[in-house]
Amino acid sequence: MSIFAVDKVCRRVVIDPAFAAALRSDPDAALRSARPTLSDRERELLLAGDVGALGRMGANFFLLHQLGRFELLGLTLALYAQRIRAEYAPERSRWAAEQEGE
Amino acid sequence: MAELVGALGIPHNPFTALAIARGDDAVAESKRLYALLAAALEQMRADTLVVFTTDHYNLFFELSVPIFAIGVAESSSGPSDYPMLPQFDVAIDGELAGAIQAALVAEGFDLGRSQEFALDHTILAPLGVIIPRMDVQIVPIWISSSMRPIPTAQRCHALGAALGRAIEASGLQRRVAVAASGAFSFEVGGPRMSEESHVGVPAPDWAVRVSELLASGDVAQIVAETTPEQLATAGNASGEILNWIAMLGSFEAHPASFVQAQREEGHAYAAWAPA
Repeated sequence: MSIFAVDKVCRRVVIDPAFAAALRSDPDAALRSARPTLSDRERELLLAGDVGALGRMGANFFLLHQLGRFELLGLTLALYAQRIRAEYAPERSRWAAEQEGE
Repeated sequence: MAELVGALGIPHNPFTALAIARGDDAVAESKRLYALLAAALEQMRADTLVVFTTDHYNLFFELSVPIFAIGVAESSSGPSDYPMLPQFDVAIDGELAGAIQAALVAEGFDLGRSQEFALDHTILAPLGVIIPRMDVQIVPIWISSSMRPIPTAQRCHALGAALGRAIEASGLQRRVAVAASGAFSFEVGGPRMSEESHVGVPAPDWAVRVSELLASGDVAQIVAETTPEQLATAGNASGEILNWIAMLGSFEAHPASFVQAQREEGHAYAAWAPA
């Protein structure tokens, strides 16, 4: 299973205004129309705005953040950031400790 | 004969350009630094500005992601990815771009050709501030520095050196400046973002270190220290330093005529006079 389908959805948000509008008005239908086809899990996570889980699955963060920038799937940039920080709290603690140790 | 008349290092945060366009006092320092770049470019009296940059997934993705590509066309427009920024139509120096591609391919650099493209914020956000009249022709060269695998610092430096030779060897009557767009440490949307924002500067000291090496003209040391390990900790946009390294390769290493880091933004503004 490739995360490419998710990355492509996020990219189209920026370069394809009609797709962004469809995603705003009927997210489920827009995501079902995406090609290559999203897996059920990918579609559910997108609909839930669960960017933390999508990040764990390997989605490209630069592309993923566009969902927040364009305020789609219930996200804002602030909510996007909050969810990524929450998901990666263990790594963030470790990085902070490493920096203090330097 | 084409002549290399100077070089610039240019940050491209789109929100800074937006704030400048809106007259926001919070970015007064960035506005001042962009004005210094504008003055340096004006002194160069360049006909054409070759810009090394990183496509932010706006041009290349599904069909192909070339490691290196050049724009060979007559015109372009943008910034395509930030419709809220001032929009520009720009002249592309297709004649010089074609000559550069031919020369670099002959030297062994597999530089792809894009013949129809929009420019994204990495070029037109800062240039909209620096040359709002857009009276300089542009040649974009894209280095794939975001999406892994990315090229090595050594390879990018060699690409820049080949560009310098190509400009010198060109029979075209041109005054050519070379620019690099991008930051040294920056994270967009990823786990290394700050506590306050969706972006962050995970390695501010690296940005300062690079700026010091730019000031002393120690390009070889920048190339040596720009390792995959360094880039991994400096954020998902930290590969943009490869644009700077390519730009630095295009002329003999010497200290910048000015360089100023913005540590908390992970980048620097810089200019070089010809050696």
